Amino acid sequence: MPALHTLFLEAISEERAHSVSRRTLFGSGAKLVAGGAVAMAAVASPAFARVAAAQDFSNDIDVLNYALTLEHLEYAFYRDGLASFSAGLFEDGVYDNLVDIRDHEDAHVVALVDTIVSLGGTPVAEAVYDFGYQNVAGFLSVAAALENTGVSAYDGAAAAIENVDLLNAAGTIVAVEARHASYLNFVNGDDPFPSAFETPLTPTQVLEIATPFFVQ
Amino acid sequence: MTQSKALAYHQSLTGALEQAQWQSLTRRGALRTAVVAAGGATVMLTGPALIGYRSAMAQDFAGPVDVLNYALTLEHLEYTFYRTFNQQFSGMELEMAGFASIVRTRLESIEAHELAHVDVLTDVIGQLGGTATTEMMYSFGVTDVASYVATAGVLENLGTGAYTGAAQFLIDNDDLLTAALTIHGVEARHASYLNVLNGTSPFPEAFETALTPAQVLEAATPLIVGAMPDTGTGSTANDGGTSLGILAAAGAMGIGAAALAARRRESRSDEQAMPAGV
Repeated sequence: MPALHTLFLEAISEERAHSVSRRTLFGSGAKLVAGGAVAMAAVASPAFARVAAAQDFSNDIDVLNYALTLEHLEYAFYRDGLASFSAGLFEDGVYDNLVDIRDHEDAHVVALVDTIVSLGGTPVAEAVYDFGYQNVAGFLSVAAALENTGVSAYDGAAAAIENVDLLNAAGTIVAVEARHASYLNFVNGDDPFPSAFETPLTPTQVLEIATPFFVQ
Repeated sequence: MTQSKALAYHQSLTGALEQAQWQSLTRRGALRTAVVAAGGATVMLTGPALIGYRSAMAQDFAGPVDVLNYALTLEHLEYTFYRTFNQQFSGMELEMAGFASIVRTRLESIEAHELAHVDVLTDVIGQLGGTATTEMMYSFGVTDVASYVATAGVLENLGTGAYTGAAQFLIDNDDLLTAALTIHGVEARHASYLNVLNGTSPFPEAFETALTPAQVLEAATPLIVGAMPDTGTGSTANDGGTSLGILAAAGAMGIGAAALAARRRESRSDEQAMPAGV
Protein backbone atom coordinates (compact mmCIF):
# COMPACT_ATOMS: atom_id res chain seq x y z
CA MET A 1 0.00 0.00 0.00
CA PRO A 2 1.47 3.36 -0.91
CA ALA A 3 2.06 5.85 1.86
CA LEU A 4 -1.56 6.83 2.21
CA HIS A 5 -1.21 9.51 4.74
CA THR A 6 1.73 11.22 3.16
CA LEU A 7 -0.93 12.51 0.85
CA PHE A 8 -2.87 13.84 3.76
CA LEU A 9 0.21 15.46 5.14
CA GLU A 10 1.10 17.04 1.87
CA ALA A 11 -2.39 18.39 1.44
CA ILE A 12 -2.35 19.91 4.87
CA SER A 13 1.14 21.20 4.38
CA GLU A 14 -0.06 22.97 1.30
CA GLU A 15 -2.97 24.48 3.19
CA ARG A 16 -0.66 25.66 5.88
CA ALA A 17 1.67 27.24 3.38
CA HIS A 18 -1.29 29.09 1.96
CA SER A 19 -2.50 30.32 5.27
CA VAL A 20 0.99 31.38 6.31
CA SER A 21 1.51 33.36 3.15
CA ARG A 22 -1.96 34.86 3.48
CA ARG A 23 -1.09 36.01 6.94
CA THR A 24 2.10 37.56 5.71
CA LEU A 25 0.18 39.34 3.01
CA PHE A 26 -2.06 40.84 5.60
CA GLY A 27 0.96 41.85 7.58
CA SER A 28 -0.19 40.17 10.74
CA GLY A 29 2.60 37.76 11.27
CA ALA A 30 2.75 35.83 14.49
CA LYS A 31 4.18 37.80 17.32
CA LEU A 32 7.29 36.54 18.95
CA VAL A 33 6.34 35.37 22.36
CA ALA A 34 8.65 34.14 25.05
CA GLY A 35 10.06 30.83 24.08
CA GLY A 36 9.43 31.48 20.44
CA ALA A 37 6.85 28.75 20.18
CA VAL A 38 4.60 30.69 17.91
CA ALA A 39 7.43 31.82 15.68
CA MET A 40 8.58 28.26 15.42
CA ALA A 41 5.13 27.11 14.53
CA ALA A 42 4.77 29.68 11.83
CA VAL A 43 8.20 29.60 10.33
CA ALA A 44 10.73 27.04 11.32
CA SER A 45 8.87 23.83 11.84
CA PRO A 46 8.18 21.74 8.76
CA ALA A 47 4.58 21.42 9.72
CA PHE A 48 3.98 17.86 8.84
CA ALA A 49 7.42 16.51 8.51
CA ARG A 50 7.02 13.06 9.85
CA VAL A 51 6.81 13.31 13.54
CA ALA A 52 9.91 11.90 15.14
CA ALA A 53 8.04 10.89 18.24
CA ALA A 54 7.82 7.22 17.46
CA GLN A 55 11.52 6.69 17.88
CA ASP A 56 11.83 9.16 20.72
CA PHE A 57 9.88 7.02 23.13
CA SER A 58 10.47 3.41 24.03
CA ASN A 59 7.00 2.88 25.49
CA ASP A 60 3.83 4.57 26.68
CA ILE A 61 5.30 5.35 30.08
CA ASP A 62 7.95 7.43 28.33
CA VAL A 63 5.28 9.38 26.53
CA LEU A 64 3.36 9.92 29.74
CA ASN A 65 6.50 11.12 31.52
CA TYR A 66 7.18 13.50 28.67
CA ALA A 67 3.68 14.92 29.08
CA LEU A 68 4.12 14.98 32.85
CA THR A 69 7.34 16.97 32.49
CA LEU A 70 5.40 19.68 30.73
CA GLU A 71 2.43 19.54 33.07
CA HIS A 72 4.71 19.93 36.10
CA LEU A 73 6.24 22.95 34.42
CA GLU A 74 2.84 24.48 33.71
CA TYR A 75 1.35 23.78 37.11
CA ALA A 76 4.35 25.23 38.94
CA PHE A 77 4.24 28.26 36.69
CA TYR A 78 0.63 29.11 37.54
CA ARG A 79 0.86 28.09 41.18
CA ASP A 80 3.82 30.33 41.87
CA GLY A 81 2.78 33.14 39.57
CA LEU A 82 -0.72 33.43 40.95
CA ALA A 83 0.69 33.37 44.46
CA SER A 84 2.93 36.33 43.63
CA PHE A 85 0.42 38.54 41.80
CA SER A 86 -2.82 39.80 43.25
CA ALA A 87 -6.05 39.47 41.33
CA GLY A 88 -6.37 43.24 40.99
CA LEU A 89 -3.36 43.37 38.69
CA PHE A 90 -5.28 41.54 35.98
CA GLU A 91 -8.11 42.63 33.72
CA ASP A 92 -11.56 41.67 34.92
CA GLY A 93 -12.12 37.94 34.96
CA VAL A 94 -8.63 37.01 33.89
CA TYR A 95 -7.35 36.04 37.31
CA ASP A 96 -10.26 33.67 37.90
CA ASN A 97 -9.64 32.00 34.56
CA LEU A 98 -5.96 31.63 35.41
CA VAL A 99 -6.96 29.94 38.65
CA ASP A 100 -9.02 27.49 36.59
CA ILE A 101 -6.07 26.86 34.31
CA ARG A 102 -3.83 26.27 37.31
CA ASP A 103 -6.30 23.76 38.69
CA HIS A 104 -6.51 22.01 35.31
CA GLU A 105 -2.75 21.62 35.15
CA ASP A 106 -2.80 20.25 38.67
CA ALA A 107 -5.45 17.72 37.67
CA HIS A 108 -3.36 16.72 34.66
CA VAL A 109 -0.31 16.21 36.87
CA VAL A 110 -2.26 14.07 39.32
CA ALA A 111 -3.85 11.96 36.58
CA LEU A 112 -0.54 11.38 34.81
CA VAL A 113 1.31 10.52 38.01
CA ASP A 114 -1.38 8.05 39.02
CA THR A 115 -1.40 6.46 35.62
CA ILE A 116 2.37 6.09 35.39
CA VAL A 117 2.43 4.50 38.82
CA SER A 118 -0.40 2.14 37.95
CA LEU A 119 1.53 1.07 34.85
CA GLY A 120 4.54 0.26 37.02
CA GLY A 121 6.55 3.28 35.97
CA THR A 122 8.27 6.01 37.91
CA PRO A 123 6.76 9.45 37.40
CA VAL A 124 9.19 12.32 36.90
CA ALA A 125 9.18 14.81 39.75
CA GLU A 126 8.63 18.52 39.63
CA ALA A 127 11.86 20.40 38.97
CA VAL A 128 13.04 23.89 39.86
CA TYR A 129 12.13 26.48 37.27
CA ASP A 130 12.89 30.06 36.41
CA PHE A 131 10.38 31.62 34.07
CA GLY A 132 12.06 34.98 33.93
CA TYR A 133 8.98 37.17 34.04
CA GLN A 134 9.11 40.50 35.84
CA ASN A 135 5.50 41.54 35.84
CA VAL A 136 1.98 40.51 34.92
CA ALA A 137 2.51 41.23 31.23
CA GLY A 138 5.59 39.01 31.17
CA PHE A 139 3.76 36.34 33.12
CA LEU A 140 0.88 36.29 30.62
CA SER A 141 3.29 36.17 27.72
CA VAL A 142 5.11 33.15 29.13
CA ALA A 143 1.75 31.53 29.91
CA ALA A 144 0.75 31.75 26.27
CA ALA A 145 4.08 30.35 25.14
CA LEU A 146 3.75 27.41 27.53
CA GLU A 147 0.21 26.59 26.47
CA ASN A 148 0.87 26.85 22.75
CA THR A 149 3.95 24.68 23.18
CA GLY A 150 1.94 22.21 25.21
CA VAL A 151 -0.57 21.75 22.41
CA SER A 152 2.19 21.17 19.89
CA ALA A 153 3.92 18.74 22.22
CA TYR A 154 0.83 16.59 22.70
CA ASP A 155 0.06 16.69 18.99
CA GLY A 156 3.60 15.61 18.20
CA ALA A 157 3.66 12.79 20.72
CA ALA A 158 0.17 11.32 20.43
CA ALA A 159 1.09 9.04 17.53
CA ALA A 160 3.67 7.35 19.73
CA ILE A 161 1.01 6.16 22.16
CA GLU A 162 0.14 2.52 21.65
CA ASN A 163 -2.60 2.04 24.21
CA VAL A 164 -5.95 3.32 22.94
CA ASP A 165 -7.15 4.27 26.40
CA LEU A 166 -4.09 6.39 26.93
CA LEU A 167 -4.57 7.98 23.53
CA ASN A 168 -8.14 8.87 24.47
CA ALA A 169 -6.96 10.34 27.71
CA ALA A 170 -4.28 12.39 25.98
CA GLY A 171 -6.95 13.67 23.62
CA THR A 172 -9.01 14.94 26.52
CA ILE A 173 -5.99 16.81 27.86
CA VAL A 174 -4.72 18.34 24.63
CA ALA A 175 -8.09 19.88 23.83
CA VAL A 176 -8.03 21.66 27.16
CA GLU A 177 -4.48 22.85 26.53
CA ALA A 178 -5.69 24.25 23.21
CA ARG A 179 -8.54 26.02 24.98
CA HIS A 180 -6.01 27.55 27.38
CA ALA A 181 -3.74 28.55 24.49
CA SER A 182 -6.60 30.23 22.66
CA TYR A 183 -7.60 32.20 25.73
CA LEU A 184 -4.06 33.27 26.57
CA ASN A 185 -3.39 34.40 23.03
CA PHE A 186 -6.59 36.39 23.32
CA VAL A 187 -5.58 37.93 26.63
CA ASN A 188 -2.20 38.84 25.15
CA GLY A 189 -3.87 40.58 22.23
CA ASP A 190 -2.82 37.89 19.78
CA ASP A 191 -4.89 35.78 17.43
CA PRO A 192 -6.50 32.99 19.49
CA PHE A 193 -6.27 30.62 16.50
CA PRO A 194 -3.45 31.75 14.22
CA SER A 195 -3.62 28.82 11.86
CA ALA A 196 -6.20 26.39 10.50
CA PHE A 197 -4.03 23.55 11.81
CA GLU A 198 -1.95 23.06 14.94
CA THR A 199 1.75 22.45 14.48
CA PRO A 200 2.99 19.21 16.03
CA LEU A 201 6.45 19.56 17.53
CA THR A 202 8.94 16.80 18.17
CA PRO A 203 10.23 16.25 21.68
CA THR A 204 13.54 17.71 20.58
CA GLN A 205 11.84 20.91 19.47
CA VAL A 206 9.76 21.09 22.61
CA LEU A 207 12.70 20.53 24.88
CA GLU A 208 14.59 23.29 23.10
CA ILE A 209 11.78 25.63 24.02
CA ALA A 210 11.34 24.37 27.55
CA THR A 211 14.91 23.74 28.67
CA PRO A 212 15.73 27.40 29.42
CA PHE A 213 13.00 27.32 32.07
CA PHE A 214 14.73 24.55 34.00
CA VAL A 215 17.18 25.62 36.71
CA GLN A 216 20.00 23.16 37.05
CA MET B 1 -18.20 11.63 -6.63
CA THR B 2 -21.89 11.23 -7.01
CA GLN B 3 -24.64 13.00 -5.25
CA SER B 4 -26.40 9.73 -4.58
CA LYS B 5 -23.49 8.29 -2.69
CA ALA B 6 -23.24 11.36 -0.54
CA LEU B 7 -26.92 11.17 0.10
CA ALA B 8 -26.66 7.50 0.94
CA TYR B 9 -23.98 8.29 3.45
CA HIS B 10 -26.13 10.84 5.15
CA GLN B 11 -29.10 8.53 5.06
CA SER B 12 -27.08 5.91 6.82
CA LEU B 13 -26.19 8.48 9.44
CA THR B 14 -29.79 9.48 9.73
CA GLY B 15 -30.86 5.90 10.07
CA ALA B 16 -28.42 5.38 12.87
CA LEU B 17 -29.77 8.47 14.45
CA GLU B 18 -33.43 7.76 14.27
CA GLN B 19 -32.94 5.15 16.88
CA ALA B 20 -30.91 7.44 19.05
CA GLN B 21 -33.48 10.18 18.72
CA TRP B 22 -36.31 7.83 19.46
CA GLN B 23 -34.50 6.81 22.57
CA SER B 24 -33.82 10.38 23.44
CA LEU B 25 -37.52 11.13 23.33
CA THR B 26 -38.07 8.64 26.06
CA ARG B 27 -35.13 9.79 28.05
CA ARG B 28 -35.07 13.47 27.22
CA GLY B 29 -34.84 14.20 30.87
CA ALA B 30 -32.22 11.53 31.04
CA LEU B 31 -30.13 13.07 28.28
CA ARG B 32 -28.21 14.77 30.98
CA THR B 33 -27.75 11.42 32.62
CA ALA B 34 -26.31 10.04 29.42
CA VAL B 35 -23.95 12.94 29.30
CA VAL B 36 -23.05 12.44 32.89
CA ALA B 37 -22.28 8.86 31.97
CA ALA B 38 -20.06 10.09 29.15
CA GLY B 39 -18.62 12.60 31.53
CA GLY B 40 -18.15 9.80 33.97
CA ALA B 41 -15.50 8.44 31.70
CA THR B 42 -13.74 11.71 32.13
CA VAL B 43 -14.22 11.63 35.83
CA MET B 44 -12.41 8.33 35.86
CA LEU B 45 -9.41 10.14 34.50
CA THR B 46 -9.09 12.06 37.67
CA GLY B 47 -9.42 8.86 39.60
CA PRO B 48 -6.83 6.17 39.98
CA ALA B 49 -5.58 6.20 36.46
CA LEU B 50 -6.12 7.16 32.88
CA ILE B 51 -6.32 3.49 32.06
CA GLY B 52 -9.81 2.19 31.86
CA TYR B 53 -11.24 5.03 29.84
CA ARG B 54 -12.56 3.81 26.56
CA SER B 55 -15.30 4.88 24.26
CA ALA B 56 -17.66 2.02 23.74
CA MET B 57 -17.89 2.67 20.03
CA ALA B 58 -14.69 1.19 18.67
CA GLN B 59 -16.68 -0.68 16.07
CA ASP B 60 -18.35 2.45 14.71
CA PHE B 61 -16.14 2.90 11.71
CA ALA B 62 -15.09 0.42 9.09
CA GLY B 63 -11.89 2.26 8.34
CA PRO B 64 -10.11 5.59 8.16
CA VAL B 65 -12.25 6.84 5.28
CA ASP B 66 -15.34 6.49 7.44
CA VAL B 67 -13.67 8.34 10.28
CA LEU B 68 -12.61 11.13 7.97
CA ASN B 69 -16.09 11.34 6.45
CA TYR B 70 -17.51 11.63 9.93
CA ALA B 71 -15.18 14.57 10.54
CA LEU B 72 -15.99 16.00 7.12
CA THR B 73 -19.71 15.87 7.84
CA LEU B 74 -19.15 18.17 10.78
CA GLU B 75 -16.72 20.42 8.93
CA HIS B 76 -19.22 20.92 6.09
CA LEU B 77 -21.81 21.83 8.66
CA GLU B 78 -19.49 24.31 10.36
CA TYR B 79 -18.16 25.89 7.20
CA THR B 80 -21.64 26.39 5.75
CA PHE B 81 -22.76 27.83 9.04
CA TYR B 82 -20.07 30.53 9.12
CA ARG B 83 -20.26 31.24 5.40
CA THR B 84 -24.01 31.73 5.66
CA PHE B 85 -24.08 33.95 8.70
CA ASN B 86 -20.91 35.91 8.02
CA GLN B 87 -22.68 36.85 4.82
CA GLN B 88 -25.98 37.49 6.54
CA PHE B 89 -24.70 39.63 9.40
CA SER B 90 -22.47 42.60 8.74
CA GLY B 91 -19.66 43.76 10.96
CA MET B 92 -21.86 46.70 11.83
CA GLU B 93 -24.61 44.38 13.01
CA LEU B 94 -22.13 42.54 15.18
CA GLU B 95 -21.06 45.80 16.74
CA MET B 96 -24.66 46.85 17.21
CA ALA B 97 -25.13 43.62 19.13
CA GLY B 98 -22.33 44.64 21.46
CA PHE B 99 -19.35 42.82 20.04
CA ALA B 100 -15.99 44.49 19.47
CA SER B 101 -15.09 45.10 15.84
CA ILE B 102 -12.36 42.43 15.92
CA VAL B 103 -15.02 39.76 16.44
CA ARG B 104 -15.98 40.06 12.78
CA THR B 105 -12.39 39.30 11.79
CA ARG B 106 -12.28 36.34 14.14
CA LEU B 107 -15.48 34.86 12.74
CA GLU B 108 -14.11 35.22 9.22
CA SER B 109 -10.93 33.53 10.33
CA ILE B 110 -12.93 30.63 11.77
CA GLU B 111 -14.83 30.36 8.50
CA ALA B 112 -11.53 30.15 6.62
CA HIS B 113 -10.31 27.43 8.99
CA GLU B 114 -13.42 25.34 8.51
CA LEU B 115 -13.06 25.67 4.76
CA ALA B 116 -9.43 24.56 4.98
CA HIS B 117 -10.56 21.55 7.02
CA VAL B 118 -13.23 20.71 4.45
CA ASP B 119 -10.77 20.99 1.59
CA VAL B 120 -8.10 18.88 3.23
CA LEU B 121 -10.45 16.16 4.39
CA THR B 122 -12.10 16.01 0.97
CA ASP B 123 -8.72 15.75 -0.74
CA VAL B 124 -7.47 13.06 1.54
CA ILE B 125 -10.59 10.95 1.36
CA GLY B 126 -10.33 11.09 -2.40
CA GLN B 127 -6.68 10.17 -2.31
CA LEU B 128 -7.47 7.25 -0.04
CA GLY B 129 -9.86 6.02 -2.71
CA GLY B 130 -12.95 6.93 -0.75
CA THR B 131 -15.98 9.04 -1.57
CA ALA B 132 -16.02 12.30 0.29
CA THR B 133 -19.37 13.35 1.65
CA THR B 134 -20.54 16.67 0.28
CA GLU B 135 -22.17 19.76 1.65
CA MET B 136 -25.83 19.36 2.46
CA MET B 137 -28.63 21.78 3.17
CA TYR B 138 -28.92 22.80 6.77
CA SER B 139 -31.25 24.57 9.08
CA PHE B 140 -29.59 26.23 12.03
CA GLY B 141 -32.42 28.18 13.59
CA VAL B 142 -30.33 31.33 13.81
CA THR B 143 -32.44 34.47 14.08
CA ASP B 144 -30.05 37.21 15.11
CA VAL B 145 -26.43 37.96 15.93
CA ALA B 146 -26.73 36.70 19.47
CA SER B 147 -28.12 33.36 18.36
CA TYR B 148 -25.46 33.19 15.65
CA VAL B 149 -22.69 33.50 18.20
CA ALA B 150 -24.43 31.20 20.69
CA THR B 151 -24.93 28.54 18.02
CA ALA B 152 -21.34 28.89 16.90
CA GLY B 153 -20.29 28.11 20.44
CA VAL B 154 -22.45 25.01 20.52
CA LEU B 155 -21.09 23.77 17.19
CA GLU B 156 -17.45 24.30 18.14
CA ASN B 157 -17.80 22.60 21.50
CA LEU B 158 -19.61 19.75 19.80
CA GLY B 159 -16.85 19.50 17.19
CA THR B 160 -14.18 19.43 19.84
CA GLY B 161 -15.95 16.64 21.67
CA ALA B 162 -16.40 14.76 18.41
CA TYR B 163 -12.71 14.84 17.50
CA THR B 164 -11.79 13.98 21.07
CA GLY B 165 -13.97 10.91 20.86
CA ALA B 166 -12.98 9.86 17.35
CA ALA B 167 -9.21 10.26 17.35
CA GLN B 168 -8.86 6.77 18.79
CA PHE B 169 -10.21 5.28 15.57
CA LEU B 170 -7.10 6.48 13.77
CA ILE B 171 -4.68 4.87 16.19
CA ASP B 172 -3.42 2.54 13.48
CA ASN B 173 -2.62 5.42 11.16
CA ASP B 174 -0.05 7.61 12.86
CA ASP B 175 -0.06 10.37 10.30
CA LEU B 176 -3.82 10.53 9.99
CA LEU B 177 -4.08 10.58 13.75
CA THR B 178 -1.61 13.42 14.01
CA ALA B 179 -3.34 15.33 11.26
CA ALA B 180 -6.73 14.87 12.93
CA LEU B 181 -5.31 16.16 16.18
CA THR B 182 -4.02 19.28 14.47
CA ILE B 183 -7.61 20.01 13.49
CA HIS B 184 -8.90 18.99 16.91
CA GLY B 185 -6.75 21.60 18.63
CA VAL B 186 -8.02 24.36 16.38
CA GLU B 187 -11.64 23.39 17.03
CA ALA B 188 -10.87 23.59 20.74
CA ARG B 189 -9.37 27.05 20.24
CA HIS B 190 -12.50 28.18 18.43
CA ALA B 191 -14.67 26.73 21.20
CA SER B 192 -12.67 28.50 23.86
CA TYR B 193 -12.97 31.87 22.14
CA LEU B 194 -16.67 31.48 21.43
CA ASN B 195 -17.30 30.55 25.04
CA VAL B 196 -15.67 33.85 26.00
CA LEU B 197 -17.94 35.71 23.59
CA ASN B 198 -20.92 33.88 25.01
CA GLY B 199 -19.97 34.71 28.56
CA THR B 200 -19.17 31.20 29.69
CA SER B 201 -15.94 29.62 30.79
CA PRO B 202 -13.53 29.08 27.89
CA PHE B 203 -12.40 25.85 29.53
CA PRO B 204 -15.12 24.45 31.77
CA GLU B 205 -13.38 21.20 32.63
CA ALA B 206 -9.85 19.94 33.22
CA PHE B 207 -10.52 17.15 30.74
CA GLU B 208 -12.45 17.48 27.52
CA THR B 209 -15.54 15.31 27.30
CA ALA B 210 -15.15 12.80 24.51
CA LEU B 211 -18.40 12.42 22.59
CA THR B 212 -19.29 9.23 20.81
CA PRO B 213 -20.35 9.36 17.17
CA ALA B 214 -23.89 8.50 18.27
CA GLN B 215 -23.99 11.45 20.61
CA VAL B 216 -22.58 13.79 18.02
CA LEU B 217 -24.85 12.65 15.25
CA GLU B 218 -27.85 12.83 17.49
CA ALA B 219 -27.05 16.47 17.96
CA ALA B 220 -26.04 17.29 14.40
CA THR B 221 -28.50 15.37 12.28
CA PRO B 222 -31.53 17.54 13.00
CA LEU B 223 -29.57 20.39 11.45
CA ILE B 224 -29.23 18.52 8.18
CA VAL B 225 -32.40 19.00 6.17
CA GLY B 226 -31.45 17.36 2.90
CA ALA B 227 -29.18 17.11 -0.08
CA MET B 228 -28.14 20.08 -2.10
CA PRO B 229 -30.06 20.51 -5.34
CA ASP B 230 -28.48 18.76 -8.30
CA THR B 231 -27.47 22.08 -9.79
CA GLY B 232 -25.02 22.23 -6.97
CA THR B 233 -25.50 25.96 -6.77
CA GLY B 234 -28.45 26.05 -4.45
CA SER B 235 -28.33 28.31 -1.49
CA THR B 236 -28.34 27.00 1.98
CA ALA B 237 -31.55 26.90 3.87
CA ASN B 238 -31.29 28.41 7.25
CA ASP B 239 -34.69 29.84 7.78
CA GLY B 240 -37.85 28.28 9.00
CA GLY B 241 -35.92 25.77 11.01
CA THR B 242 -36.19 25.11 14.63
CA SER B 243 -33.51 25.21 17.22
CA LEU B 244 -34.17 21.60 18.05
CA GLY B 245 -30.82 20.42 16.83
CA ILE B 246 -28.98 23.13 18.64
CA LEU B 247 -30.83 22.35 21.80
CA ALA B 248 -29.97 18.71 21.38
CA ALA B 249 -26.38 19.70 20.84
CA ALA B 250 -26.51 21.86 23.90
CA GLY B 251 -28.04 18.99 25.78
CA ALA B 252 -25.27 16.70 24.66
CA MET B 253 -22.90 19.08 26.33
CA GLY B 254 -24.95 19.38 29.45
CA ILE B 255 -26.08 22.89 28.61
CA GLY B 256 -29.70 23.53 29.35
CA ALA B 257 -31.92 25.54 27.03
CA ALA B 258 -32.32 28.13 29.73
CA ALA B 259 -28.58 28.45 30.03
CA LEU B 260 -28.35 28.80 26.28
CA ALA B 261 -30.90 31.58 26.32
CA ALA B 262 -29.11 33.23 29.19
CA ARG B 263 -25.91 33.06 27.21
CA ARG B 264 -27.58 34.78 24.34
CA ARG B 265 -28.67 37.56 26.62
CA GLU B 266 -25.22 37.81 28.10
CA SER B 267 -23.37 37.72 24.86
CA ARG B 268 -22.76 41.42 24.90
CA SER B 269 -19.51 43.21 25.16
CA ASP B 270 -17.58 40.38 26.76
CA GLU B 271 -14.79 40.97 24.38
CA GLN B 272 -15.01 44.67 25.00
CA ALA B 273 -14.31 43.98 28.61
CA MET B 274 -11.10 42.28 27.63
CA PRO B 275 -7.73 43.95 27.25
CA ALA B 276 -7.46 46.60 24.60
CA GLY B 277 -5.93 45.66 21.31
CA VAL B 278 -7.64 42.32 21.02
